[in-house]
Amino acid sequence: MSGLRQADRLLEERGIGEDFGAFVTAAAWTRDGLVSACALGDGTLALADRGGFRRVAAHDGAALALCADGGPAGFLSGGDDGRFLAVSAAGEITEIARFGMKWVEHVASHASGHRAAAIGKKLYLIDQAGQTQKQLDHPSSITGLAFDAKGKRIAAAHYNGVSLWFVASKSDNPRRLEWKGSHTALAWSPDNDVVVTAMQENALHGWRLSSGEHMRMSGYPAKTQSLSFSRSGKFLATSGAETVVLWPFSGGGPMGKPPLELAGGDGVLCTRVACHPVHDTVAAGFADGLVVLADIASERILPVAAPGRGAVSALAWSADGANLLIGTETGFAARINFSKH
Amino acid sequence: MTETSQQVPVTVLTGYLGAGKTTLLNRILSENHGKRYAVVVNEFGELGVDNDLVVDTDEEVFEMNNGCICCTVRGDLIRILGGLMKRRDKFDGILIETTGLADPAPVAQTFFVDEGVREKTRLDAIVTVVDAKNLLARLADSPEASEQIAFADVIVLNKMDLVSEPEAAALEARIREINRFARIHRATRAGVAIADLLDQGAFDLTRVLDHAPNFLEDDSHSHNEDVASMSFEAERPIDPEKFNAWIGALLAAQGQDILRTKGILHYPGESRRFAFQAVHMMAEGDFIGPWPKGAKPASKLVFIGRNLNRPQLRRGFLACQVDAAP
Repeated sequence: MSGLRQADRLLEERGIGEDFGAFVTAAAWTRDGLVSACALGDGTLALADRGGFRRVAAHDGAALALCADGGPAGFLSGGDDGRFLAVSAAGEITEIARFGMKWVEHVASHASGHRAAAIGKKLYLIDQAGQTQKQLDHPSSITGLAFDAKGKRIAAAHYNGVSLWFVASKSDNPRRLEWKGSHTALAWSPDNDVVVTAMQENALHGWRLSSGEHMRMSGYPAKTQSLSFSRSGKFLATSGAETVVLWPFSGGGPMGKPPLELAGGDGVLCTRVACHPVHDTVAAGFADGLVVLADIASERILPVAAPGRGAVSALAWSADGANLLIGTETGFAARINFSKH
Repeated sequence: MTETSQQVPVTVLTGYLGAGKTTLLNRILSENHGKRYAVVVNEFGELGVDNDLVVDTDEEVFEMNNGCICCTVRGDLIRILGGLMKRRDKFDGILIETTGLADPAPVAQTFFVDEGVREKTRLDAIVTVVDAKNLLARLADSPEASEQIAFADVIVLNKMDLVSEPEAAALEARIREINRFARIHRATRAGVAIADLLDQGAFDLTRVLDHAPNFLEDDSHSHNEDVASMSFEAERPIDPEKFNAWIGALLAAQGQDILRTKGILHYPGESRRFAFQAVHMMAEGDFIGPWPKGAKPASKLVFIGRNLNRPQLRRGFLACQVDAAP
């Protein structure tokens, strides 16, 4: 028990946590880093600032997707009630769009103000005034969404590949990155040159945009649900194995190079990863509820939360990297402050 | 097949256009059963839904990159079932309606392939609605019609008011030629008791096989393009290694033609029954409860498919038995 208590020390001394009793489907911070939010399977959002959590009713059903809004404060959320919402840091809800019976499964934004929502095969680009600027069609349902770092392009994953769209382009012809199969999640490297997807067959596929090179990373015992590039772009952290699997993207990698594996040994599946926004450090959550920080260079592991509160289903860093937000399948949510006292 | 109590039962409704699927769905949803269902449909039509959740989807079938050409799954279902499992209000069951021309294999295979789906849900039964008036014509002109019957655990023979009793008997006989193991319910305007459709545990193979009539009966449709079903029984225990090698090679070679395989196997020295099942080339197996008291353990294996070679299948299965005592 002393080991467990020690594993919880950071949560107890530097965190606030609460049990909400509903699946945490996503976690995000406002761009100014002051307010955090967890999207929950009962349709509510659990907003939190330093003082503590509070619930906001948002969706009639499950809240499925959540991200920071384009501006400094506020969030975007999507639900299986077909509603795409803007949520202020104070918890006021504004409906941006309503899509009937279709689920709003993916949302994204960029600091330039762009908002995006994926509904079935359609991608909607919407501005801060709530006006739909583009409606982009895909050959099948969108399964992952990400803006590039500059906000110039947006990538949408679907069956048999990824479509890249220029946000401001007058002609709407996407660049198609093709690879046969079902792509289920997506990440874009910080230098905008690499797009990686997770696939149904427990493998990753990547494209280097400048050269057209394909990359294939396999060997996972389970599906990768979560992928995150390190700040430097040198590593791609992934879930789906009983360790945190980090693929090297420097020095000619990842092809032909073995991945770095951290925080293994317990025989428990890693379910979520989130790279730190400043340092080459990764937060990882496991199926037993354990959350750790792993320093990539030194391979040192720092426990953050002990097992026992449900499989980790969401992790998010504030933009300054001072705070980490955790959510689990059984409804536990916590935010932990890592800044110097 | 494990922890069934934790898993939400899923019922798949198939049937040719106009057979009465939507009528049946409406009946299920409007009956006062006190339960709550999530319903996955392709075209949101005139569903009378109060208490239930309806999800509108496009059937998205894709091939797995595992070198198996007939291994197709429904990507949209993987996403939707995953999403439904995140909701706080759990469902008593999930109903999936397929389009009229749909091949049921991708739906069934989704429950073999995806870990997340397998963990949280279980395929309870495939229910196929057929139109008594038009069944023979459909069987003659579309391969999907016979596949939907072949995959069925339960068949609703609908529009019985439009056929005579001798016609109905002939239809049942025709259905039995394709699938000897499904339970058939005659109905008018899809009037079937919910208890006969939902929570069937139809993938509880013992039940299926115990109800299978005429087990060793000869089959006259064993060498043509028609879908037929065959069953075999072995008295001596089955050697697991021999069986795995044989069934693996058989499904790899003929899995496109073999739509479904189900079996209950008696392994040497094992008090529990081993349940085996496959959809095309995708196979799985697990131990289930012990043999019934007083019953002599015996292994049974069932195939439903095209171009089944009875003597060859029998020889292959019987050769998996442990050697007879000298």
